[in-house]
Parts: sequence; structure tokens; C-alpha cells
Amino acid sequence: MIFKKLGLALTFSPNGLPLLKSAVRLQKMFNSDLCLIHVGEKNPETEAQIDGLIKKAGISPNSFNIVWKKGEPAKSILNAASENNIDLLVAGALEKENVIKYYLGSVARTIMRESPCSVLIITNPVAEPEQFKKFCVSVDFTPLGETAVKKSYEFAKLEKAIEFVLVKEFEVPGLAITVYDSGSTDDTEKSKHEWQLEEEEKLRLFAKELNLTGMDYSISALFGKQGWEARNFVKENGSDLFAVPSPPKKLKFFDKLFQHDIEFILSQLPCSLLIIRE
Amino acid sequence: MSLSATDITIFLLSISVILFFARGFGELSRYLNQPIVIGEIIAGIILGPTILGTLFPETFNSLFNQSEEVITALNGITLLGVVMLLLVSGMEIDLSLVLRQSKAAVVISILGILFPFTVGFLSAYFFPEFLGLSDYNMRLVFALFVGTALSITALPVVARTLMDLQIFKSEIGYLIMAAAMFNDLVGWIIFSIVLGMIGQNSEHALPLSSLIIVIIGFMIFVLIFVRKIINYSLPFIQKRFTFPGGVLNFIFILGFLGAAFTEYIGIHAIFGVFIVGIAIGDSVHLKEETREIIYQFVTNIFAPLFFVSIGLRINFIENFDPLIVSVFLVLAFIGKVVGCSLGAYWGGLSKNDSLIIGFGMNSRGAMEIVLGTLAYQYGLINEKVFVALVIMALVTSISSAPIMNYYLKKVKAKLSFHSLLKNETIIFSTAPSKNEVIKELCQKVAVYHKLDFNLVYDLVNEREETISTGLEKHLAIPHARINIKDTIVAVAIARDGIEWNSFDNLPAKFIVLLLTPEDKPEIQLKLLSDIAKKFNDTKVIENIIASKDAKELIYKVKQLY
Repeated sequence: MIFKKLGLALTFSPNGLPLLKSAVRLQKMFNSDLCLIHVGEKNPETEAQIDGLIKKAGISPNSFNIVWKKGEPAKSILNAASENNIDLLVAGALEKENVIKYYLGSVARTIMRESPCSVLIITNPVAEPEQFKKFCVSVDFTPLGETAVKKSYEFAKLEKAIEFVLVKEFEVPGLAITVYDSGSTDDTEKSKHEWQLEEEEKLRLFAKELNLTGMDYSISALFGKQGWEARNFVKENGSDLFAVPSPPKKLKFFDKLFQHDIEFILSQLPCSLLIIRE
Repeated sequence: MSLSATDITIFLLSISVILFFARGFGELSRYLNQPIVIGEIIAGIILGPTILGTLFPETFNSLFNQSEEVITALNGITLLGVVMLLLVSGMEIDLSLVLRQSKAAVVISILGILFPFTVGFLSAYFFPEFLGLSDYNMRLVFALFVGTALSITALPVVARTLMDLQIFKSEIGYLIMAAAMFNDLVGWIIFSIVLGMIGQNSEHALPLSSLIIVIIGFMIFVLIFVRKIINYSLPFIQKRFTFPGGVLNFIFILGFLGAAFTEYIGIHAIFGVFIVGIAIGDSVHLKEETREIIYQFVTNIFAPLFFVSIGLRINFIENFDPLIVSVFLVLAFIGKVVGCSLGAYWGGLSKNDSLIIGFGMNSRGAMEIVLGTLAYQYGLINEKVFVALVIMALVTSISSAPIMNYYLKKVKAKLSFHSLLKNETIIFSTAPSKNEVIKELCQKVAVYHKLDFNLVYDLVNEREETISTGLEKHLAIPHARINIKDTIVAVAIARDGIEWNSFDNLPAKFIVLLLTPEDKPEIQLKLLSDIAKKFNDTKVIENIIASKDAKELIYKVKQLY
């Protein structure tokens, strides 16, 4: 089982119903439990609204449970997730947020950064949720990186996806400086090419070690800035689900100011995003 | 004041002579595996009063001392050279790398500056006479300057050395680059304050406290706001204007504006252009291509003009003071090597790795010379100290690579297959099956390396069961990640061949057991790919399994590397 218990923050926004439908689709596919989290006052009016949503989504009454929470939305959702042993939190997000919102942070953003469990961010959810067809996973050679590849690979097989790409970025800071000394770009180009081959070979072995069987996959090693290159690759490739191992630490204001790594992906989501945590 | 026809002729002629000699000696030092800047400085010394000026004073004077106008023009162009050099230096700094360093890099960066700075500052403050200070009123500023001069690291030389030693893309390379970038950034900030303290450089000089506020304010403004603006405008410029013309202009306009601003407020122009360079270099939209074009013409045209001009001003033989030179050399080595090595050691690296980092960070190269030139122009240091600084820069840069290489050999031994082979863990097996061979190998390894046989055997088998480790052409690499510090290999030769479920259905004859530390998955991948690549040839394998004994086998494997 890839994920045992899904969590969804239920809202009455226009995205509420499409997200609910997506969550239900995934719940059926993963054969997992579903926990709906609503942050707000519990009264007859809101209860009726939620009932309405559930009816519209057409789910049977005993296939889920509802958790009511009060307080600041993002924190409440995250608390509910850890209290209820949720291992995949589903949320919606806009592809790009405006500058002010970006720096102040939004619910989705806080969830992406601080969630105790894995997170699936669905960009622009549609009324009738569709399967994810083209998967791309960002690899790092760590135990968490291995988990991320395995989980997203199983996910892709369930979705009967048509494409699964493993991408590995590699960065060599200051490479251009070597041009500076000799005035020659040949050496630099040659090394870059060698490193590219070396990384591809490692990636191939990495994939082989994980014994991924059941569907074809391809690999791609990208030279450039971490986070940024993978993001662009996903965008250009037209992938619709991008899986990444979670960054090791919580991101702070400082990280937003001087963007790096996963911040490039979070600030401009190239497509739906799956963040894998242990 | 305008240039006469003779002036123009001489001016252009002297520039071509400078470039000609710079290139010649630059290529020579490249041929000798030395940083190119060393050749350029030597070219300057040869063209300057030291050699040409002494042997053929008339030629020297008519080329470089023709008239006030020509000297001014030459000075103008070398100023342009140093400003562009600092623009490039700024562009090299990867701000996010500097800000998100690992623990080890942070300790190296901080100690790598603090320790040499303190050593330099204290020595210069208490024993200024040994370091060639004559004006005691300048003692504090001078001590600050010596501290800065000792704590600087030249990024380009470091990068080149790492590239030549083939460790650019490695953990150590990464650490050194991150620490060197941090070093550069902090070094220039301190130096700009020192220059501001001299206070005679501009009619707009500010008191020290406001100067520091202005410096910090300028940095925050450029690194946060201007950087954002650049990041948003670059894609637009690249799309709408001709490429690369548009971007190049944009970059130089911003750089010169920054330089003009800091010069106006009384810190040297180079500080502004350096900070603007950082803001530009940080943008993800800046194409690698653009970067390289800028580096190309700055390095090949403007930087040589500057470096050669250093030798043109001073007689290196007359101003050579053995005492000052040796004091600077000793302080430079002690400060940097001890500081950085200690930092690396406390950051959790081995003694050997720490020394590599210490000596790697010791190259001062170009940056030291820029620093010295400015201090000399401002009258803070005399000719003798300047000469000592240049020699110190040269010696630290030249010595860095060979010393690093000495320690690197030991490190590389831990990371490559051929040097991990041990006579004692090579067996010539007649075992009938895959399981038996693995068992034999695990037993050998368990005894020799004092490991728990059952643990090793179970882990290797567990891995073997998920998917066969048989590769093509008689090669099999059973492997596991296990709780050990250093990689372990063992080899079994099975001349009769053992069925291993390989892709090409060939039986395994050359079997390598590979045990790697469990906390470093990348080492496993690296060695696997390394072995697979080297032995991807039936002939190679046939040759190796024909070895009479373990000794011959190791010899043959080493021949491959």
C-alpha cells in the first residue's frame, strides 16, 4: 500500500468540490482511508454545507471520517494530519501566486513546507478529475530519495501512466570560473560532458538497484541549478505529476528571499506536485 | 588634454606589447600547469623597470613613460581592467551556495577568515616594523589591511586547481568552493571598510560609522532589490534585445554604475562592481553562455592589462626585502592552512581531507594582487610590502596544487576499485554455484575486516534476491550497504564460470564483492559504475582471470587505471 490514509482539507471555495472528487478518486485507487478536515465553526449550517458537498461528490457515508478543527487554517490542518496518522495530505494550489502572497505565505504553501507527512498539491483541480499520465520524479541518492522513487513508481503503475522519468540534477558551483583562468572553454565543456555521462550511469544503476518493474521508465541527468533545472524540465516535458523528496529542513523567510532548491519549484509549480516524506 | 598622434601610436603599441607578452607567458605557465595569472605577472616584471627598464631604459621609457597623457590613458585602461575583473569575481559567487552551506563549510569559512585575519592583525599591530610599516599613525589601518590580505583566497586559482586535480565535482571540491566564495565576499567587505578608513581617497569621505552603515545599506539594497529587478528583467532583455549584445550591455551598465556609486561615497569602485556582480550572477536566467562570453573577454583582454601593469610600476629586485617577504610567507601559510584545516577538522572531516582543504584555500593569486595594488596606490603600503605581497600571492598559488595532490593521492585510494584490492581478499574459486561463491567471499571479508559473517552474508543475499547482480561479459558485482566506515572489496575468480542470471546469459567469471558504507549511497553507485565501465570488455576480463596469483591480478587491474 503506497498510502494508508489520505487527508483532505475541505473548504467551501470553488475548488472544494473538484478537490474532494480528486481525493475520492485517489482513495479508491490506493484503497486507503479518507479523512476530511474542516477548519471552522461546527454548526447546523456548515454541517449542511459539508453534507451537500459529500452528496455532490457521490461518496458513501461510511467511507470517510470528518475532523473539525478551529483556529488558524494551515496549522490546524497540519495538527489534524499528525493526530489522525494521515500519510498523504491532499491540497489545491494555484500555479503561480502573486508576489505579496508569496512572501506572506498561504495555506497551501505552509502545508507544502511544514507538513509532517507526504503532500499532494493539485494545481488547478477540475470538476471531473483525470488520471495523472506523465510522471516525473526528482532523484537524490539518499534513502528518502529511494522511497520517493518507489512510491511514485507504484503510484504511476496504479494510474497506468504512459511515462515515468527519473531526473537527477547535478550542480558544480563555479564551473564557469575555470574558463576565467585559462581563457579556454574546451576543458570546461569536456568535463561537463564527462560528468553528464557519469551522472547518467549512476542514475541508471540507482534505478536498477530499486528493481522497478512493471512499466518502462527513462532517465535524465540535468546540469544546472538545483530545483530550477528540474522545474524547467518538467514544464517543457509536459509532465502532469512531479514527485520530489521533501527538503530536509523547514523553509524560512530567508529561503524565500534567496531562492534555492525546492523553492524554485514551490514558487512556480510546473504541475501537480507530490512531496514525499518518511 | 588630448592625445597627439605619437601618443596614440605609443599607447596602442604599448597595449599590444603588453598583450603579446601576457599571452606568451600565460601560455607558458599553462603549459607548466600553473595559473595563467602567474605568467602575466612575470610578463609585467620583465617589461617593467625590473628587467627591461634596467637593461634597455630607453625602450622602456619610450614605450611606457612617453608622456603624461599616455600614462593617464594606460592607467585608465588598467582601472577598467580591474573593475571588470571584480565584476566577474562577483558573478562567480553563488549566493545561495554561500548562504546554505553545510556545517563543515560554515566552520571552514569562518575559521578560514578569522584565524588568518587575527594572525595578520596581531602580528602587524604589535610588530609593524617587521612588516615594513613606516608611518606609525597608520598602525591600526595597516594591521587591518594585513589581516585582510592574509585571509583572502583567490577563487579563480582555486577553481582551476580543483579542475586540474579532477576534484571539482566532489565533496571536497564543493566544500572548498563554498568556503572560498564566502571568503571572497567577506574579504572584500572588510577591505572596502579598510579603504574607507584611509579616508583620503575621495572628497566625499564619510566618518567611519556612517561609512559602515552606507556599505551595509548598499549591500542590502543591491543584493535584495536590485537582484530581484535583474532577475525579472533578464528574461525580458534576452527576449527583446539582440542576444548576447543586449544582456552584455545591461550587465556592464549596471556594473559601472555600481562602481561609480561606491567610488563617489568614498569606498573604492571595485566594491560596488563586485556587489553588483553578485546580484547579476545569482539570477537563474543568466545563461551560462553569457557568463562565458564575459569571462572570455575580461580574462583575455582586460585582466592581462591589469596584471602586467603591476610589474610596470615597480622594480622587483630593488624592492625585494627578504625579511618582509619571509614574514609574509610564513604568516600566510600559518594563517590560512591552519585556520582552514582546523575548521575542516572541527567540521567533521578527516585529518587528511582537512589538510587538502587547508592548502586548497591557501592560493591567493589574483585577488591578493588587486588588494595590494589598491593599498599601494592609496599609500598604505610601500613598495617593499607590495613586492612581498605579490611574491606571497605567487608562492601560495604555485604551491597549492602539488601539496594538495600529495594528500589527495591518499584520499583517492579510498575511492577507487584498484586501490581497494587486497591480496588477502582475492580468491580463485572452484565453487559450483553462485551461493557458494558469495559465501566464500563473505567469509574472506568477515575474517580479514573483522565483520560479522552472518550479517554480511544475509545483506548480500538479500540484495541478490531482489534482482541479479550479474552484469554483461562475465562480470558480476554482488554488493550491499553495511555499517562500515570505508569501502571494502573482495574478488573471486571462477575460471569455469558460474551461472549468474546475467543480461547476456554469459556465466560470471570475474566476481567482485562490494561493501559500501550504508550512510553514503552515492559511493556505491560511483564504484558500481566505475567497475562496470572498466570491465565492460571480454578481453579485459579474460586477461585478468588468467592471472597466476592475487599479486598478478592486482598488477593487471592497476594497469587499467
